[in-house]
Amino acid sequence: MSEEERDRLERAIARAFRPQRRLSRRNFLRQAGKGGAYAAGALSLPAILAACGIGPATTSPAASTAASAGQSAAATPSPVGGGEPSGTLIFANWELYIDPGPNDDPQRSPTLAGFREETGIETTYSENILDNQSFFANIQPDLEAGNPPGYDIIVMTDWMIGNMIRLGYLERIDVARDVPNFGDHAADKYKNPSYDPDNLHSVPWQSGITGIAYNPALVDEEITSMAQLLDPAMIEKYSGQIGMFSEMRDSMTFALLYNGVDPTQATMADVEAAQQVLLAQAPHVRDYYGNEYTDPFSRSNLAITMAWSGDVFQLQFDNPDLRFVVPEEGAVLWVDNMCIPKGAEHPNDALAMMNYVYQPAVAAQMTEWINYICPVPEAQDIILQHADEAESAEDREYLEAVANSPLVFPTDDMLSRLHSYKVLDEDEERQWNDLFDEVVQG
Amino acid sequence: MSGWLRRHRGLVPYLFLLPGGLWLIAFFLVPVLTMASVSLQEGSLGTGYRMTFNFGIFPEVISGSSTQLIRSLLFGLIVTALTLLIGYPMAYTIAFRGGRYKSILLLLVILPFFTSFIIRTISWQFILADNGFLLGTLKSFGWLDQSFRLLATPVAVISGITYNFLPFVVLPLYVALEKIDHRLIEAATDLYASRLQAFLRVTLPLSLPGVFAASLLAFIPAVGDYINAELLGSRNETMIGNVIQRQFLVSNDYPQASALSLILMIGLLISVLLYTRLLRGQELTV
Repeated sequence: MSEEERDRLERAIARAFRPQRRLSRRNFLRQAGKGGAYAAGALSLPAILAACGIGPATTSPAASTAASAGQSAAATPSPVGGGEPSGTLIFANWELYIDPGPNDDPQRSPTLAGFREETGIETTYSENILDNQSFFANIQPDLEAGNPPGYDIIVMTDWMIGNMIRLGYLERIDVARDVPNFGDHAADKYKNPSYDPDNLHSVPWQSGITGIAYNPALVDEEITSMAQLLDPAMIEKYSGQIGMFSEMRDSMTFALLYNGVDPTQATMADVEAAQQVLLAQAPHVRDYYGNEYTDPFSRSNLAITMAWSGDVFQLQFDNPDLRFVVPEEGAVLWVDNMCIPKGAEHPNDALAMMNYVYQPAVAAQMTEWINYICPVPEAQDIILQHADEAESAEDREYLEAVANSPLVFPTDDMLSRLHSYKVLDEDEERQWNDLFDEVVQG
Repeated sequence: MSGWLRRHRGLVPYLFLLPGGLWLIAFFLVPVLTMASVSLQEGSLGTGYRMTFNFGIFPEVISGSSTQLIRSLLFGLIVTALTLLIGYPMAYTIAFRGGRYKSILLLLVILPFFTSFIIRTISWQFILADNGFLLGTLKSFGWLDQSFRLLATPVAVISGITYNFLPFVVLPLYVALEKIDHRLIEAATDLYASRLQAFLRVTLPLSLPGVFAASLLAFIPAVGDYINAELLGSRNETMIGNVIQRQFLVSNDYPQASALSLILMIGLLISVLLYTRLLRGQELTV
């Protein structure tokens, strides 16, 4: 078996059985050598997604605990911070979500080393977050009981941030006072998001787009609109080669956008109409995928599919023809955010970290490895500068690809068409799940 | 010690059974009882589970997953039939015509086990890909429609399971056929039975215990299989194993998952008992 085949097999196995997050392209090149590379694009959402019930109509445990906790929710009155850091920071993040140090050890990340040098704060970094739901279930009892949760910063996806704010599980922060770099360097799109108005509790870590990807070898037209994914009349010729996501939030939000509804304002009637769209499309759908959709897509089993930007960016190294589009009707910008769980013991250190990673040079250093959408636009020029200074042609090529890809630094035109997920309360979550389960289970 | 053993000779068989018995208690009985207990509890991972003797969960999960239960039984039956149809001639040939190549042929039968089950199944994804080695070639000759596919269809899943369990069928069939006394067949032909008659009246009935063992070894794991449906199928091929796996590992709904697992076990037990009766009746009439 050739090196390449073995790599493909290994990744296929990993994707099929682990909620794996991603393999950085750069990391991968390092391991596989120049030639035998095949894109590795597993990503975070799928894992999350998986947690929200692909299976038969079951209420997820996190949702039900959230329900019971809901009554005791109260807004935190005043923001934490404004004091001196203690010198200790406990950081929980997703796998492969920071530039690693020697031996791929995230604890020895250059970013964390730089942070220690600048602030004197020692970070204990763990990759304990496999998906939003299970991590939430893990810390929820402590948060509910008012005990210190054991972490000072955690990274959660936008809709979970919305949930946790509603439950009163996040500390208030004062971004203007304690995270000035955010105001100075973050793209406008990330300020005052719908899930956390005025960034009172969170600032983004990285983000990505849920859009449409297609394989021009199988599609002889240019895909520009949702209709080319969702209208049964238009996709009949691709029947069985259409991929959708098993994550309810993604697929439902797509159908809402197709119907011209702003997903954050969707009513129950809108969601029922969206379900009709998905039901009509279902006979042509090959399957509803989690993070493993990149396998059938890269193997030309799927012609048109919902896709995550970071995946397609990496797949394009092997097949530059693959296309990723933000359709006319819009797409979803999902954002993973840093936040401080209630009762965290070192909030000042956490705020220092939030401020640190919004320095453009630090953001560039992380993005060069992570390959997701960087919330700091200025990082683009810094990465280009690094490309100029690169020692090997391979590194230069790679860094230029990162800096110039609209999948890492989206154009304003793309950004203007991006929407957020609606933050759902427990009842809505159950109703949306039930409607979507009917689609998936056929 | 040896004196003690001599005095308590009756205990020896029990001592021999002890390691296996402890193993079964630790890794079969305890998990099954735990599952039975969890299935009757209510709660969630976050808040913990409480015993509520919620027997209503059984009808609930049966009706909730009836499609997948029926599909699993159906796939299991088809797979059993296919493995027997493919495996019997194989075992017959090895046993009666293998000659000095017998052991090599048997080695070939178990050779796939040298590679992991999952790797082999993932290889099928490559072989059966829409534009892969097999279908791509046929399509390029125009023998197949461009949109024809095997992956994400029942054909792929059933073929995958059949492939994976074929060795389990061939081996017991071989053992049963191998020990048939050839002189019995000779006697039948001496008494003017045609070769077909000799096969139907002598070889086949004598191999029935092997057929029985083989069909159970194919049917039971096939019904509970989820790897093939996961890797080669789509939502329309979801089997009961996939549902249980997702409830345990994805939705973390342990009571539902446990209840479904128990139902699967009990269902299999009942069908195996029915089958045993049926075959026993058969043996008497042959």
